[in-house]
Amino acid sequence: MINSNNYTMKTKFNGILTLLLALVVHFSFAQERIISGTVSDESGPLPGVNVLKKGTSSGTETDFDGKYSIKAKNGDILVFSFVGMKTVERTVGASSNISFTMESDNVLEEVVVTALGISKSAKSLGYATDVIKSEELVKARESNIINSLQGKVTGVKVTSSGGNLGGSSNIIVRGVTSLSGRNNPLFIVDGVILNNQQTAGNGDRITGNRDFANGAATINPDDVESMNVLKGAAATALYGSRAAAGVIIITTKRGRKGQGGPTVSFNSSLRFDELFRTPNYQNEYAMGFDGKYNSNSTNDWGPRIVGQTVPNLPITGLPGALTSIEDNGVNEFFNTGVTAINNFSIADADEKLDYRLSLTALNQTGILPGAELDRYTFNFNAGVKHNDKLQSRFTVQYTKTESTGTGAVGANDPNIVSLATFSNSVDPRLYDPWIDASGNQINKLVTNDGNTESNNLLWLRNENSNDRNDDRFVGSFEMKYTPIEKLTFTGRAGLDFQDDKRLIENNNGTIGRLLGDFRVDNIRRSFLTVDLFGNYATDFTEDLSFNAIVGTQYNSRLNEIETLTGVQLTIPNLFSPGNVAQRIPERDFDESRLIGLYSSIEFGYKDWATLTLTARNDWSSTLPKNGNSFFYPSASLAFIFSDAFNIESDVLSFGKLRASWAQVGNDARPYALDFRYFPATEAAGQYSLNNNFPFDGRLGFVATQTIPNADLVPEETTSYEFGLDLRLFNNKIGLDISYFNSDNDNQILNIPIPQSTGFARRTVNAGSINTEGFEVAIDATPISTENFTWNTNVNFSQVESTVTELVGGVERTLIQSAFGSVQIQAIPGKEFQLWAIPFLRDEETGRPIINPTTGRRQAGDARAFGSVLPDWTGGWVNTFSYKGFTLSSTVDVSWGGIMKSATVEDLQTQGLVAETLVNREGTFIDTEGILVTNNPDGSVTRTDNNIPLRNAQDFWTSLDDASVSEAFIYDASFVKLREVALSYTLPSSIFNEKSFFKSVTLGIEGRNLALLYSKVPHIDPEANLFGSGAVGGFGVERASVPSTRSYGFNVKLRF
Amino acid sequence: MKNIKLILLSCLMVMLTFSSCDETLDINTDPQAAPNANPNALFPYVFTTYSARTVTELGTRICDVSQYISNTFNSPNRGNVSQFLTGNAWRVYYTDVLSNLSLVIRDAEAAGASSNNINAVAKIFSAHIYIQSTSLWEDIPFTEALNFDQFPTPQFDSQRDVLLGVVALLDESIQLIDTRDTSSEFDFQVGDILYDGEISKWRILANSLKLRALMLLRSGGEDVTTQINATLAQPLMSDNADAAFIPYSGDPGQQNAMATIISQFFGAGGNEVQNIFGPGDPIDALLNGSGDPRWDLWVARNDLPAPGNDVFPNNADSVLSNNIIRTTLPDMIMTPAEMDLYKAELALDGFTAAGDAQTNYRNGVRNSIDWWNGDIPGFTGTAVAPADVTAYVNGLATPTANDIFNEQYLASFLMPVLSWNHVRRNRVPVLSPPPAATIPTILKRFTYPVDETGANPNTPSNKLTEDPMWFENL
Repeated sequence: MINSNNYTMKTKFNGILTLLLALVVHFSFAQERIISGTVSDESGPLPGVNVLKKGTSSGTETDFDGKYSIKAKNGDILVFSFVGMKTVERTVGASSNISFTMESDNVLEEVVVTALGISKSAKSLGYATDVIKSEELVKARESNIINSLQGKVTGVKVTSSGGNLGGSSNIIVRGVTSLSGRNNPLFIVDGVILNNQQTAGNGDRITGNRDFANGAATINPDDVESMNVLKGAAATALYGSRAAAGVIIITTKRGRKGQGGPTVSFNSSLRFDELFRTPNYQNEYAMGFDGKYNSNSTNDWGPRIVGQTVPNLPITGLPGALTSIEDNGVNEFFNTGVTAINNFSIADADEKLDYRLSLTALNQTGILPGAELDRYTFNFNAGVKHNDKLQSRFTVQYTKTESTGTGAVGANDPNIVSLATFSNSVDPRLYDPWIDASGNQINKLVTNDGNTESNNLLWLRNENSNDRNDDRFVGSFEMKYTPIEKLTFTGRAGLDFQDDKRLIENNNGTIGRLLGDFRVDNIRRSFLTVDLFGNYATDFTEDLSFNAIVGTQYNSRLNEIETLTGVQLTIPNLFSPGNVAQRIPERDFDESRLIGLYSSIEFGYKDWATLTLTARNDWSSTLPKNGNSFFYPSASLAFIFSDAFNIESDVLSFGKLRASWAQVGNDARPYALDFRYFPATEAAGQYSLNNNFPFDGRLGFVATQTIPNADLVPEETTSYEFGLDLRLFNNKIGLDISYFNSDNDNQILNIPIPQSTGFARRTVNAGSINTEGFEVAIDATPISTENFTWNTNVNFSQVESTVTELVGGVERTLIQSAFGSVQIQAIPGKEFQLWAIPFLRDEETGRPIINPTTGRRQAGDARAFGSVLPDWTGGWVNTFSYKGFTLSSTVDVSWGGIMKSATVEDLQTQGLVAETLVNREGTFIDTEGILVTNNPDGSVTRTDNNIPLRNAQDFWTSLDDASVSEAFIYDASFVKLREVALSYTLPSSIFNEKSFFKSVTLGIEGRNLALLYSKVPHIDPEANLFGSGAVGGFGVERASVPSTRSYGFNVKLRF
Repeated sequence: MKNIKLILLSCLMVMLTFSSCDETLDINTDPQAAPNANPNALFPYVFTTYSARTVTELGTRICDVSQYISNTFNSPNRGNVSQFLTGNAWRVYYTDVLSNLSLVIRDAEAAGASSNNINAVAKIFSAHIYIQSTSLWEDIPFTEALNFDQFPTPQFDSQRDVLLGVVALLDESIQLIDTRDTSSEFDFQVGDILYDGEISKWRILANSLKLRALMLLRSGGEDVTTQINATLAQPLMSDNADAAFIPYSGDPGQQNAMATIISQFFGAGGNEVQNIFGPGDPIDALLNGSGDPRWDLWVARNDLPAPGNDVFPNNADSVLSNNIIRTTLPDMIMTPAEMDLYKAELALDGFTAAGDAQTNYRNGVRNSIDWWNGDIPGFTGTAVAPADVTAYVNGLATPTANDIFNEQYLASFLMPVLSWNHVRRNRVPVLSPPPAATIPTILKRFTYPVDETGANPNTPSNKLTEDPMWFENL
């Protein structure tokens, strides 16, 4: 369970593991005697509780059965502490037995990792954070860690791009705050700024995009100790630039003491993926057009299937009876995907050293034939306590990801296979085999006249691979020096280096790429972050504490993409530059740097009030030299009124108010200031029929199409937040409410300008977005008995991101273009809008005006249809525990917002789905339509439409004439059963210190199990065309790789 | 002590690393781009990008609007103009071609008379683009175009004003050529794909484009008699050696897309095997059995019927020959036949400066036949003997206006916009809309693309695609 300021997971076994190695200190004072007892929590004995004699370093821990024994004398105070529990102090008296039950202390003692990796007590924070613990991340592990947050964290919206293996996921925290697309939070792993960039495969987000993963997907859930989502600007202000969209701080696991040896654990999952949603295909009418059968058509507008014989069945070309295959054969075409995740880790620690080494293998085959992904992660984390004053820590993660057969999405690429690719007349099993001994494509679809062929889908999947080979290194080194007790200096350097190699191939003989071609992208990214800061903490008086941080940061980001395109292979299937008639090299490079100075001062009063002030100044390389410095302050206050007013009641256990105000900002992209000319490699034509330079022996240069701006100022986010955190009925119910409001001004944007100016865009501080919202998280434990616990958590986030102003009174501006007439636009006074062409409608009745000649609807002028962002999102997480059994489920909701589905458009206009059966062969009149006649006297005559279309086919196929999208725009709301996991942990009583196993947990798990509500027909409403790296990648779906439902097993062993 | 050393050392290292904040941050210059570019670098991009888009977009998509090809892919011929088609053409014309030409003009004007030649060339090609653009969309930004600082949302000029502006622009360019300083002239041969730096040929092209624009103005009802007479008095394109075209060597990346669309998407053997581009009905009607050598030069299997309006050919139909649809086919901007046939038309209408109608008419036919019979670069067909051509041309009867219009149509073969202009201006040959058309006429115009309508509130409302343009004078 994840909820604000709430820590509900108690990992008993973590404690157990440290038990037998615990310090056993022998005391020899005569008056000491052995004190023993059992420590329990509400669910039974509690292993791993620290037992310390106050004022000394001697102590022990409770064992598997919650038992401890320690030597102590009368008057000694024993301090019992356990993470997530209220610390208990007991004075040794006459009795030699001290046993008691610890109380959960969800809020009070929780420690969270905040900016710069500094741990703070959650109760002192004046802003909202959400912590997701490792247990949550490895429950039904996701290959993209971002997906694990779906439905679990308030204010966080996760959108995955579809069912592609290794695909990208988009995450936004508290709504969109940027018009320029910098809406993803900053990811920090052990203090290293991580690159979360996503480069579209094939160089294009809409034309045959291969959706390769976003940068943060490299994080391995098994290695994460905690993820902390810092949402408000006050939380992120110390990060200055680029933190405007929130920060996700990831702390990786460290070595801990084991039981007489290292802790060795093994976590293994096996899961199976299948199609999440199958369209409601029609089975009555065959492939063809105008009621006539055709053996190669993208349409099922053919004749009714009545057992008739045709001379040329699809693929085989043999005569035979027309038949219809159930669900258009998608279940025969798509495979059952298999995911195996195996993690092995070894860890140990003593007073001086700790280390943890982890190896993880993720091996997947996808539902798309030929799709495979293998990811191997090596993670090492070691720390040394050199002496009382000096510590160092070293972390390294190396990830190797290899994938093949990534699906192409969008349009204008022969490799696209979507749910609208399948006809009920074609049994996809006939595509096998797809290649003959000479390497030619066989078993294609061929039209009746033999003239036009379509690709064998298995040829596309098996011969045209889309390979990615990614090496990723994320490492950090940190030293902490404490010259005097209250002062610590920390120096930290971290590097995220990525070497991402891609190869997209089209073998000779692929229809649409008959001559064969390939594209190689070598992408190199290097992000370096160096921090140096000092931290001084002291108590001015008994009541007044003080904590100050002063530091500096250096950050550089380097991106380099080298692309080689080869066209026209000589020898088939040999994708080498020497084997092509034409080679087109391209190179893209950018580098940006930033230097920051920061300071934070915190005053604490009596443990119930904390005031934190921060300030940061950044100097950025991407801004004009005389204006590259920008300053960001923040202030936050945490006030625990329950303590301040000494409220002691059975109803209110804890109450905190928080308030914060902050400014953070963002610099520009590199090279946005100067007018430049670029060497051209190609002169682009339609259908990718491009000319290349040198042309006719001549080189070509082209001026930028974006008017630069030498006077850019940094983007600025000013926000405030109020929050209330209540714990009621002895912590049985927790309630966390936040209200936030942020103004995001001076947005740096390349706004589209009329192309008749000679330029397509210009770079400006273009406008403002206001983001306002509130979040509610309720955490409750309605039932808690000795053996059974039910914990339930509801989270709700409502965010409204309104474009408040565009520069110079611009009425609207393009955020993201999909195809032709479908766009995402920013319009003042509105959220991001889906902009598309509607039907021409009668102003009075609102009904579509029918063309009296054709009976068809007509196109109106493009308009905004509504917000592509949800009104609210929510999640409901339940956990039931009975003895060793734990059942958990997550339901998540995204409500409101609209989307356009081009897959549904294809399914309907191609006559593939059931709704197109209505009146297939009868007279078809669009009865929703109206006929409008403008009379010479100025009056208007309106009559119900009575003009028949040619037929049903004519109705459906004309719905998107003139690029009209209205018929395919849907309410994007959905409710999903996101995750169910059932696990059983063998009772600890069956293990002892000599057991081979120390802990065994078995589980079954499932993800994306059911779509409980959606108004979008046929497809998963979450699908998205653009990939996570797009500027405003919301609200449009086109030929996405179908998403999957997965279920499987999990075994966790500890040795 | 040891610790202190370590800390001091670390601090020193950090200080050395960032010794100068300014230097560390002074990296915001794109290492992959140039601060300026001269016309020899910009012209090749302009001409090649213009051609890549014209051939792949207009060439492969709208030839069936004027019906010299029976059917094309994703054609607007039934009345719907897709946003891709209109948007791509608009974008390339304004932001790739006109924009870079305007930068050349800006720099040339600053440089003075020694750059008059490139200034003129940039203006001449701009004039061509404006004629093309007004032919596609009618009213377009002209006077306020390409000047964001002053006109961030350019007004659209009427077609009449655009064409008059084009004439003035061409006058200006001729004036620039005539007053250029040849002593230290900018050598633009490297950048000049059309004429290898021969400025006299550009001057001929300028005057010829002027006549093209004036013919549209005249058709629209504008009295341009004076300007036409002035143009006729200046050298017009008369020799195929002066033809304006973008050459295609046929090497990879330098191939005409009318051919590569077949090799990329359909297979080997060219058009005659793959049956993609068939002759339109008017071509069949005008040439089949006429004795015109172009019938054999253009059409293969020409004993078979044409495929029909809006229909792709199959093996039982005639197809355009591989001699026409080939990778080395040049992208033609203007050939002399067009001028000859304008002169014939003008002569018939009483322009004495145009000379004799029949002579011009025969010159036009001759030039067109010669062009396709081997004057065109990369000719691979079987040439018709010059004597046979002469015999055919000499056998042509005294032309009527209709004859001239038909020859104008034939002489604009594979020039999609010019051909479309002829059929809209002359209404000869008479074309029927395709059977499945949603409009009662042939397509008359493109609609404005959403990229312009979305960003420019001055964009006029779209008219119906069946509404005639001003120059049609209907």
